[in-house]
Amino acid sequence: MSTLVDTRPTVRRRNPRRVWKRRLSLALNLVVLVGLAFVVLVPILWMAQMSFRTAIAQFQMPPDWTRGWTLENYRDIIATRFQRNLLNSLIVSTATTLFSLGFGVPAAYALSRYRFTRGTLIAFWILAVRMAIPIAFALPLFALFLRLQLVNTYQGLTLVYLTFAIPTVVWILRPFFDSIPRDLEESAYVDGANLWQTFVRIVLPLSAPGLSAVAILSFINAWLEFFYALIFTRGPMMTAPVAIVNFLNYAGWDWGKITAAGTVIMLPVIFFSLLTHKYLISGLTAGAVKS
Amino acid sequence: MAEPGKNLTWPSGAEGETGLAVAAARAPVAEWEATRRRFYTALLVPGLLVLTLVTIVPVLYLIATSFTPWDLSRPGSLQFIGLRNYVRLLTEDRRFWNSIWVQVKLSSLTVPFQMAIGLSLALYLHLQHHIRRLVEVFRNIFIIPMVIPPVVAALMWRILFTPEVSIVTYIMGLLGLPQVRWLGHPTLALLAIAIADIWQFFPFCMLLLYAGLQALPEEPMEAARIDGASTWQLIRHVLLPMLRPTLTVVLLFRVVDSIRTFPLIYVITQGGPGFATEPTNYYAYQQGLFHGYIGYSSAIVVIMFFFTLALSLLILRRVQWEGGEA
Repeated sequence: MSTLVDTRPTVRRRNPRRVWKRRLSLALNLVVLVGLAFVVLVPILWMAQMSFRTAIAQFQMPPDWTRGWTLENYRDIIATRFQRNLLNSLIVSTATTLFSLGFGVPAAYALSRYRFTRGTLIAFWILAVRMAIPIAFALPLFALFLRLQLVNTYQGLTLVYLTFAIPTVVWILRPFFDSIPRDLEESAYVDGANLWQTFVRIVLPLSAPGLSAVAILSFINAWLEFFYALIFTRGPMMTAPVAIVNFLNYAGWDWGKITAAGTVIMLPVIFFSLLTHKYLISGLTAGAVKS
Repeated sequence: MAEPGKNLTWPSGAEGETGLAVAAARAPVAEWEATRRRFYTALLVPGLLVLTLVTIVPVLYLIATSFTPWDLSRPGSLQFIGLRNYVRLLTEDRRFWNSIWVQVKLSSLTVPFQMAIGLSLALYLHLQHHIRRLVEVFRNIFIIPMVIPPVVAALMWRILFTPEVSIVTYIMGLLGLPQVRWLGHPTLALLAIAIADIWQFFPFCMLLLYAGLQALPEEPMEAARIDGASTWQLIRHVLLPMLRPTLTVVLLFRVVDSIRTFPLIYVITQGGPGFATEPTNYYAYQQGLFHGYIGYSSAIVVIMFFFTLALSLLILRRVQWEGGEA
């Protein structure tokens, strides 16, 4: 606690009243914050606990916390081959990350280091893609992909995911490249390195923290995507978020499977989001608000 | 490959005057400039090509199909019928107008609350800077609803609004409140969607406004404090006026994003009961991707697309393309 508030011993001795006032204010703050956190977390915790309860215990009100715990639901989702859906998500998310970085990183660097005559137009294009409703791309792409036999394939879904993944990469990394001092590049040129060598051997290694954060964000965004996946995948090709909703549809309301699968896909996302929350803001707004 | 002259200030593509440095250096400079332009264009073009392929091409195709009665179940229905889809949509389609009304109700229920909650929390976190570490821990907890998969968030609320398995039922029972079937009643169903949406996206407002507050200059705050301003006066007359540009941008973002709500509707109500919770986005999905009426659905989506495009123009006018060009 001592790290949270400044309560130096001298102050404590001289002015006990002030110390108590501070402690009281800290306590009040804690009450408010914990209360709010509780409201925010209740839906999440409720779902998580349901995933460990037997079917009978789930319907028991008031809940009896002393009994009814089980791992049955997790065994059930394995039995229905949910791991196949997780694998689909993993493949598509990885491919999306690789391609969005492969195309987005050079583009972001170019936009940072060179003033293109159509720079503002490109900026608007990328922001407009971020703002556009996904169905504006999904509907025509679905019709086109039907003809190209790309519906229900990893390639097709990855291609669709690039609509949001490339803009996100560009918008986060351009300001990041702007913030890297250009002196090193200058001295590389003086030493006879060409532009490509400088980019690959000097700029990219220096950008490792930004690159890894943006890679994680790209991965997460593809991992939790639902709308496109619902349209472009079927049967065994469904990604994990779509497969969960399927548990709603057949065999009645299988709350055990739904909550277990939900918990499984949610946990890694919470963990990694907190790691990269610094970049979350520019990713969310396509850079329109500074972090 | 040209060597840059020593007298050049490097690199800043923004500076056009580099070429004027020394007359003798002109030719190599021009050559170097050309090399740079070729190199950076080569880096930019592949990304833009892919983006063209997945955004511009589909939107053009969307506009084209909106002039056809294309129905996936009727081969050969891909023919030009002019503006007939639009005319039917705007003059006859009650379900379309109802969906717009649902969207208006939904957005005006959710966005103000998200802004208010987000702003209060952001101000609270910002002003409690003497307990910064504690505040950061809680800020991280508060952003969780926004980062969990949207479909999981929707499922959680589907559970909470299903009386048999919901802790809400139990709590309402304890408080002596009547049991309600949230999803069976038009108004309550809309309210249920709104509550879930507020919960899921208030962190967006909080996070962005908090970042905005942190980026404000300290001096006006200090000056006001020295002049003996109360916390309320500080907020009212110093912080809020300075935060206004950020508030506008966040508001616009929330309005646009509220139009694309999908998982909540799909999982919690499926647009029902009746069409009581069917916003335009969901209606377009139903027409195009559920029933296969690509042509008619395209007309709906074209209208929505240009509406969001206009809103993004509004946003772009308020923010500069961050950083560069300086």
